[in-house]
Amino acid sequence: MGGFLPSAERRSTALLAIFTVVSLLLLVVGDRLPQGWLRGIGAHLFGPLDRIVLLGDRVGSAWRESRLLHERIARLEMENAVLRGAGVENDSLRRALELPRQGPFDLVTVEVLSLSGTPVPVAATLSAGRNRSIEPGDAVVTSRGLLGRVGESWAAASRVTLLTDPVSVVACEVESTGVLGLLRATTAPHPRLILANVPLADTVRVGQRVLTSGMSRRFPRHLTVGRIARVGREQSGLTQEIEVEPAARLSTLRHAFVLRGTGAAELVP
Amino acid sequence: MRLVGGFLLLMAVALLLRSTALSALAARGVVIDVLVFVTVIWALRHGETAGVTFGFFIGLAADLDAAHWLGRHALVMAALGYVVGRLSHTLVRESFRTQVVLLALATLVHQLWATAFELHSAASWPYLLQRIVLAIVATAPLGAFLISLIGRVSGRGFLGHAAHESNPSN
Repeated sequence: MGGFLPSAERRSTALLAIFTVVSLLLLVVGDRLPQGWLRGIGAHLFGPLDRIVLLGDRVGSAWRESRLLHERIARLEMENAVLRGAGVENDSLRRALELPRQGPFDLVTVEVLSLSGTPVPVAATLSAGRNRSIEPGDAVVTSRGLLGRVGESWAAASRVTLLTDPVSVVACEVESTGVLGLLRATTAPHPRLILANVPLADTVRVGQRVLTSGMSRRFPRHLTVGRIARVGREQSGLTQEIEVEPAARLSTLRHAFVLRGTGAAELVP
Repeated sequence: MRLVGGFLLLMAVALLLRSTALSALAARGVVIDVLVFVTVIWALRHGETAGVTFGFFIGLAADLDAAHWLGRHALVMAALGYVVGRLSHTLVRESFRTQVVLLALATLVHQLWATAFELHSAASWPYLLQRIVLAIVATAPLGAFLISLIGRVSGRGFLGHAAHESNPSN
């Protein structure tokens, strides 16, 4: 049989057959195989290289960002003084009403080394892991809003499952009206975030902010998630289809903050 | 040994670019299919055995990175590496037009296959079609331009001519 083809062609045809069978097997059972450790090795090997590739971009943007940040710090310090007073008032009121207090977050600043998934990133590799007590489940934010949740944590790197991953679901509320819904990513007809399970009777408007809700047991309450970009009716006609524009800009991700300890135990609402 | 070094280096560069600079572009809607680009270059230069191996391993690395549907890219990239490698014996590989057509077809096949896993309803077709067309338009000319640039920098037949290889006595 093999005599019909030259040996090089036989070898390549055999290789193609082997690779096809392996690929098909992986397609069928691949999701059940443990892959976390392999991605860990990849993150460990590629981490330093990612830093080198990103160096030019980081230096250029650091200059521009530094100017903007100085301006922002001044504004935020003024706002902070007002909020501190309101916080004291809020604490005493919550104590009087016997409501649980929400403590300050333990923020860990990390660098975003790489993004996975095209065209829309669904995961990101961060520059810190167990070495800085980052554990699976910890919430990850940027200065603009929620990014996702740590899915895997290794010695010196970790991987965040972004809000844009179709497996990610976040309990949310619309600011000021308190309308509740579940935020999930969908790829049909194009990649976007949808606030689902919102009854038609609830009033929501384009431009309103969407925050994590007190119903969420995975994320602290009141983290900014995004803004309502479009309001429509879901196919079944029973609920609304609300498109949310994420607050965190995935195309310009450089740094993020891990809310350490938020994944250690389910949060008390 | 040099071949293995080049294999690993090209894979590492492609994966690095894919997860850094190109992912930021992709988030803005412009997908440059670097997996197809490097597989086509490798298969054109080294033939089908090297092409199918390179395609499989770079596809597998991309699958691991994506975390869902392991084997999805590996299968199609191995097939593309094989087909382009086979064609490299008969095509004029140095021709810019040949490279554009090969890259366009390979990108089309890869994107169609990858898209098949994201099809949920007919409503998503226009967006996905637009994405495929954009990927072809971005990858094919840019890839062919880069190949000719590398050819000029290297100074001699970077890909070689099919006629020379298919008939070693020449």
